[in-house]
Amino acid sequence: MTDSHAVFDIVMPGLQTLVQDYPGRRGLQSKGFFPSGPMDHVSFRIANALVGNEPGAPALEIPMGRLTLRALAETWVAVTGAEGSGLRLNSRPMPLGETVRVVPGDEIACSIVKGPGFRLYLAVAGGIDVPMVMGSRATYTMGGIGGVEGRALVKGDVLRARAVTAPPPRLRVPASLRPALANLWEVEVMRGPHADPDFLTEQDWKDLVGREWKVDLNSNRVGTRLESHRFQWARPSGGVAGGHPSNVLDGSYPIGGINTNGDVPVILGPDGPTAGGFTVIAAVVQAGLWKVGQLRPGRDLIRFREVSLDEALALAARVDYTTDPHHYEEL
Amino acid sequence: MTAIINRRPAEGDRPAIVYRAAGDRHVLVEYGEMALDLELNFFVTAVTAHLAEHPVPGLVEAAPGFRSLLLHHEPAIIDRKALIDAVDEAHRAQRSVRSLVLPSRLITLPIAFDDSESREAVRRYATTIRQEAPNIRDNSNIDYIVEYNGLSGRDALYAAVTGTEWWNAYTGFFPGLPFMFPLDPRNAITVPKYNPTRTWTAEGAVGIGGPCVAIYPVEAPGGYQLFGRTVPVYDVLARHEVFRDDPILIRPGDRVRFEPVSEDQLLAARRDVLENRYEYVIENDQFSVTDYLARAAEVRAEADTLRSAREAAAARTEVP
Repeated sequence: MTDSHAVFDIVMPGLQTLVQDYPGRRGLQSKGFFPSGPMDHVSFRIANALVGNEPGAPALEIPMGRLTLRALAETWVAVTGAEGSGLRLNSRPMPLGETVRVVPGDEIACSIVKGPGFRLYLAVAGGIDVPMVMGSRATYTMGGIGGVEGRALVKGDVLRARAVTAPPPRLRVPASLRPALANLWEVEVMRGPHADPDFLTEQDWKDLVGREWKVDLNSNRVGTRLESHRFQWARPSGGVAGGHPSNVLDGSYPIGGINTNGDVPVILGPDGPTAGGFTVIAAVVQAGLWKVGQLRPGRDLIRFREVSLDEALALAARVDYTTDPHHYEEL
Repeated sequence: MTAIINRRPAEGDRPAIVYRAAGDRHVLVEYGEMALDLELNFFVTAVTAHLAEHPVPGLVEAAPGFRSLLLHHEPAIIDRKALIDAVDEAHRAQRSVRSLVLPSRLITLPIAFDDSESREAVRRYATTIRQEAPNIRDNSNIDYIVEYNGLSGRDALYAAVTGTEWWNAYTGFFPGLPFMFPLDPRNAITVPKYNPTRTWTAEGAVGIGGPCVAIYPVEAPGGYQLFGRTVPVYDVLARHEVFRDDPILIRPGDRVRFEPVSEDQLLAARRDVLENRYEYVIENDQFSVTDYLARAAEVRAEADTLRSAREAAAARTEVP
């Protein structure tokens, strides 16, 4: 560990603060591992870009705020994501979306996030130094691997970062490139493998994209639960896969898939089930996935908007553009 | 727009193929009809192996299902059309699955039926999520499974579970969960899944959803009807040496046989696993599709009669 140094002492760990990397633990779905990684991959990559890291370098995901950490070394940090957290450096307001220098003894703190948005991301120059497990440093708590001992941070954890040779340039993300946070979200989807015509009816699809869905309080990195809804379904039963028409013979799920657990649609998260026996009626496209990470459980509303494959790919390119530090302002 | 991107008709022994859209990074390939036909799974296994040996640039992973493959791809490297062309080629390279001989281990696991942790998961569900679900009676799913299949009682269900080897068609859900199907078609029981799903299931719980039996490898949400509990099948800390090289016990193509034990015996076995004293019973073996098909053919008439009776019972039973 000669090339890394202690950077933070965790004074207050928050609800479930996790070390993540991006794109996480890929290629292991056939063993039952979704990739983990940040729920809002855009804010995560922007935070890394602001401190001169590779966009996927290990950084913190802070759901709901309430984190306090003390700097143990001179370094550079950036916080992105949810608004209304009362983010401060030594009791003075600290800006979101900017490179900030800290020195030993400095304290970074946030309160409970008021929103809009739900998750904060904190990156440090060099990236957080945790062991590589099965190809990634991302924390996956259910599997007990990655990050700090496969778990959320606790009070007293000391985080290390890889050493950097020179200070990063101080940057700020211009307003036009900041992800637009909301309370009523428009989330881009494409039809899933079990949409119409053979699973849903055309009217069911119209219902899915035509109404507002409330985000259930019981939502997390495994899945974002929506409200119960009786679809008409294009077939009376799931046959051999089970009596309910949402039942299919088990198969693998796409990340971001909208999975119907009986009558309850669930958006599959980065720690979600990789497979199962329920229909996937739609899928959130890559460019829209970050929004799912910023939904406030129990409060926010979603409208789904259907996009074409070409539009989905164009939107993904636009998202990638916002994570490129060449487009940021120099301070 | 429609979910179906492309279709290929059945040809010779090769099943019909449907390509379905699953967002901008995934395509789901489905084989044959939605039926409990293990030949479809053998075909999936063969195509998965072919793609592993002949990697397609831009294909991040081909993740199998019972009768499907989910293709995760990078559109910047390979677009949807080129991806489908590449997978078509893998399909064309397949010979009949009927002569396949696959490496397959036979793993014998203890099972305690109607154990207290499964009952606890059902109880929590009834308390916090859905009280009046038809699949719950006295904090258990067992009597519902019995009724849905028209079985004579709990013992008939337990006999159906212990009376066949279970084929692990693939792994998924959470790390190391086997999706298992009965190799003796007479033992094919089926049941709808939860509506909505549970938020908690004990590690080691054994349940059934549709015709598929699964072992929960970690504490997890879940939608299967629970009927028992077994020993750990996943341990990333490798507290038992069986997990030393791989945290996952049951691989695709392995078979599991359940042996009934009392709950006290199971709890003792589970303690022994943590102390590396338990003896997992694993036989290295092979699985011949030819032999399987011959055995299945012998009992087909009996299996069909049983299935008709079970379908009639299902039609009389409320769905959650």
